[in-house]
Amino acid sequence: MTASTAPVPVPGTTPGLASPEWGGFDPSRTSDPGSGAAWRGFGAAVRLGWQMEANWTDPFLFFVYSVAKPVSAALILVVMLSIISGNQDPEYRSFVVVGTALWSLVLAGIAGLAWSVLDDRERYRMLKYTYVSPADFMLHLLGRGVARVAVGAMGAIITIVVGILFLGVPFDAATVDWVGFALVMTLGIVAIVAIGVMLAAVCLQTRQESWSYPDAVAGALFLVSGAVFPLSVLPLVAQAIGLANPLTWWIQGVRDTMFPGGVNAIGGSGSLWMQATGSVAPDTTTTILVLLVSGGLVTLVATTIFRISERRARDRGLLDRTTGS
Amino acid sequence: MSLYEHRRTASPAAAAEWSRRQIVMTDLRSVYGRAYPRMSGMLREPSWMFFEVLLPFLATSAFVFVYRALQAPPQYVGFVVLGGALTAFWLNVVWMMAGQLYWEKAQGNLELFFAAPMGFMAILFGMAMGGMVMSSVRAIVVLVVATVVYGVTFEVDQWFLLIAVFLLTLAALYGLGMVMAGLYLVWGREAFQLNQLFVEPVYFVSGLNFPVMSLGLLGALAIATIPLAVGLDAMRQLAFVGSPFPPGTPSVEVEIGILIAMAIGFTLFARVMLAALERRARRVGSLSVRWQ
Repeated sequence: MTASTAPVPVPGTTPGLASPEWGGFDPSRTSDPGSGAAWRGFGAAVRLGWQMEANWTDPFLFFVYSVAKPVSAALILVVMLSIISGNQDPEYRSFVVVGTALWSLVLAGIAGLAWSVLDDRERYRMLKYTYVSPADFMLHLLGRGVARVAVGAMGAIITIVVGILFLGVPFDAATVDWVGFALVMTLGIVAIVAIGVMLAAVCLQTRQESWSYPDAVAGALFLVSGAVFPLSVLPLVAQAIGLANPLTWWIQGVRDTMFPGGVNAIGGSGSLWMQATGSVAPDTTTTILVLLVSGGLVTLVATTIFRISERRARDRGLLDRTTGS
Repeated sequence: MSLYEHRRTASPAAAAEWSRRQIVMTDLRSVYGRAYPRMSGMLREPSWMFFEVLLPFLATSAFVFVYRALQAPPQYVGFVVLGGALTAFWLNVVWMMAGQLYWEKAQGNLELFFAAPMGFMAILFGMAMGGMVMSSVRAIVVLVVATVVYGVTFEVDQWFLLIAVFLLTLAALYGLGMVMAGLYLVWGREAFQLNQLFVEPVYFVSGLNFPVMSLGLLGALAIATIPLAVGLDAMRQLAFVGSPFPPGTPSVEVEIGILIAMAIGFTLFARVMLAALERRARRVGSLSVRWQ
């Protein structure tokens, strides 16, 4: 074949993933495919995550499994409360039920990303292939985590409904600040996912036993988030950590916007908040602003840690490492 | 003389004839071999101490502060601390016993286990021993640190009995873990989801942070079926002598009887089930092969 009869390469015109008709290498395939491809990758990861979460059983059993954990967590605290105070403190009971319900979302959000790393690396051994694919790795992990967040949200909603119907949680749709609630939820979920990204970064470095790490991290954060007791019962150092924690502000923001007038987890007599500001408790606007700032900082730190971890994992061959114990 | 030294035999069948001593020694080596990675892994992954020991202590602390916020009597803080220590073993049973054979299958090791010339119970005992060592570190740290930090006062009259109940609880828990390991292997992907179901719901019905008989009939059912519930209740009665317990709480003697029955029953059931699984694995093949 002479040069004059050879087909002229037309880069970027080959549809899909097929080989170019002219048989050569299409350099346009190595260029940035743009945000459309990124969103397609994200969508595929979401679909994959949902299939993995949900297609192992029938919908009824899936529902039971999804709500058993958060409802039981709430019941543990309700029983503790009823043993000690004998149901004399309905305000505190609703405080506890809402806190544990929201915590199921935290657990799911944190675990989703970390378990995606462990699932893909240790169980299905696909992490290395996912990593070298054109899709952005972090975006893929975020997509995988969405399904678990959805399951967690379902558990939270059911727990709150159980709380309203059977445990005396006061709820009046007319008093709910829906716009504030939507804003708080959005900012809160971003913060939860950011913590999940941090944990995914940790799991990239650690071995198979990291399955239990999300529970451990969430358990520790539970202490300083004002989820089930006001921060004021903690020592001042722990209260300071709690005030820097976006989850504290998220949970309080949800309480302020959805169940106004209840116990405040941040302020109160003897609280660090009161000592520092002189006010009894932060108002909703302050809560949202602090959530925005603390959530933004955590997101920044999480992204940085993830990039460092990703680079280290690549350098040390951890992406295709499997472990046993 | 090494047990593995070559010996001249008349036929392959004769070579497969092992003395009782060879069988026992091989099983003991298998127990050690299976326990070893769990024990050595603790030292090779220092982050384990942070995630598996320090953070769970903080999680236990959260429930201590719930009781403090409620101004509960001090022995309730002790209940939480004791419960927090025992969760280490329960989580180990769920994640590293029940789910383990399923993981081994996913990793491709299970067929090697079935093909290797040792009893399968030796593998499970090894897993249990290694897991107990790992969990004991966490349990001791939670117990000691929380006792010091939160000023828990134990009132023990019968230390020997308390230790015996603790050991019986471990035997029953890990016996249940062996049963679950076999069941998980059959159930496949559902196993992973079951791990989720066996944490908070079991904590609730076992009365992790409160006397289990506060749940009434549900508590009685838990005492009859869940080693964590009965073991925890018996240990609380022995570690907090003089504390009021809800009406209907069985005596320690009755609970010891339940624990003994559970330990023997679960271990025997696991043995029978694993023997059946092993036969099936050899005959059908697909049970032990990855992705099947």
